[in-house]
Amino acid sequence: MGIPTVTLTRNEFVGVVKNAVSGIGLAPDTAMVTFPTATFLPDADLSALQARKQEFYDALTSWTTGKVKGGGGRMLAVEGETYEDALARANELFIANSWGDGLPLWPATQHRVNWILRGAARPRAHVLGKFPPRGALVSIEACAVALAMAGGRPEYLPVLVAAVEAFLDPDATGELLQATSGSPFPVVIVNGPIAKQIKLNSGFGLLGPDPQHPAGASIGRALRLMQQNLGGALPGTGTMAVFGHMRYTNAVFAEDEDGLPAGWEPHSVERHGFKRGANTVSLFYASGAANIIRRGAKKETLEEDVMQGLHRVAGYLRVPDVHYLHGYTEGTPGFVVISKVVAADLAAMGFTKQSIREFLFEHSKVPLEEMRKTGCMAWMEIAATEAARESAQQDPWPIAQKAANIGLVVAGGGHSSHALWLQAYTYGVIGREIKLPAAFGELVSGTAGVQAAAP
Amino acid sequence: MIKLEFHDPSGTLDKATPHAPRLNSFAGKKVGMLSNGQWQAYRMLPLLKTMLEADFPGIEVLSEDNFPQGNAFIGNADVAQLVKDSGVDAVIIGNAA
Repeated sequence: MGIPTVTLTRNEFVGVVKNAVSGIGLAPDTAMVTFPTATFLPDADLSALQARKQEFYDALTSWTTGKVKGGGGRMLAVEGETYEDALARANELFIANSWGDGLPLWPATQHRVNWILRGAARPRAHVLGKFPPRGALVSIEACAVALAMAGGRPEYLPVLVAAVEAFLDPDATGELLQATSGSPFPVVIVNGPIAKQIKLNSGFGLLGPDPQHPAGASIGRALRLMQQNLGGALPGTGTMAVFGHMRYTNAVFAEDEDGLPAGWEPHSVERHGFKRGANTVSLFYASGAANIIRRGAKKETLEEDVMQGLHRVAGYLRVPDVHYLHGYTEGTPGFVVISKVVAADLAAMGFTKQSIREFLFEHSKVPLEEMRKTGCMAWMEIAATEAARESAQQDPWPIAQKAANIGLVVAGGGHSSHALWLQAYTYGVIGREIKLPAAFGELVSGTAGVQAAAP
Repeated sequence: MIKLEFHDPSGTLDKATPHAPRLNSFAGKKVGMLSNGQWQAYRMLPLLKTMLEADFPGIEVLSEDNFPQGNAFIGNADVAQLVKDSGVDAVIIGNAA
């Protein structure tokens, strides 16, 4: 703006504010006056604000930028008596600089990065954007560096790059969700044949860990490393995630397209309009994952089992959840994940994905009195979209603007007992096509998955 | 000795734009308040306004009510333009996040 500013914030938010400033292209430092969290709580004593008023005045009249640490883009080196010793020193360096997730990492040597780049469909220097909120440049090479550190393989790179492109979409609002105290984590759902080609899990234990399907862990871990190392989302400094659940590997899995009943379309087709058979990613932020026992316990008929299960799932959705407001219009309240066995039973009862969504939409509406007594009306007043604000007029309150916003994918182990609810904290659900290199076929070998050897 | 060379994972930042120059003084200046409407902003920003007006006679302080409020709005380009159009010489942004 060209206008001097000072930000009034909490002591813990210094990193968040610096990241935000860096992300808009200013030197990653800014005039701030900070106070402990207690100062910002209801009925707090504000005498500290009065006692320190001169700091506000100084911030607008005499503040100067402090020394700013330069931004990377260089090669590092460590030495050791043995390879194991050097590897340990490299990991100590990662920890010392807060570049890791606390678990051992592969140093991204030139040799390993070049190997990963065999999976690149575009030149290594191609810039995808700036990683929010800190704003470090994201190139194809930067993706390969993160994937190399995360223990990934070349054939995973196309999925990671597409996920990063989705992450960088302005509608994903990464600059907000990276910094928030609400602990959202990216969920990446893959459709298309690439899922099987790279051994991405769509079945039992799809949220991991699963050594039989290692792709999701490496891709999600690489994305997480980029969130932190490029985006600045360091816990307690750059991200205020109070709990920070599931952030080692995020959640990266495939829809079980073989398990879709006849006439049911893949998520990528329904939500994003991609052609069936296209390799795609769909990204949203979740704030939790709840397992729901959905089957009956005794002598239910198929109809009773199906309907009771749907009502039970709807019950998990029917809560006064402020997170719903963020994605109320174009995003999603969350994703329901059902196995192919459950999908088959629902299809046998005549349900389609859309009619399931409509059922859940109708049966998850929250009585407005519940919204009132839980203080959600005030949150509705400050919601980002007009539709979300105006939803306060409806009783019972629909958890999304429309049924189509409720995510529904078929995935998970072939078992009828459970459903999964990935509650969202997201503004958008972003789709991207996965771009493959011309030589992708050389990286993967048929369905047996005999893959290119590591160096 | 074994030497391991590897990429710095923290990436590269674009060349940064300098921050706006500070005011010489508050004499005859107009200061705006921009609020996310949370974390006691409704108490703290008016208190700052009162203190500025008491300490710098002749200063004009535009309260937060002159601009859209809320995290969903105050970072938007159109709000930045509104602030610019208001003619303020400096801005205090609150609160807490």
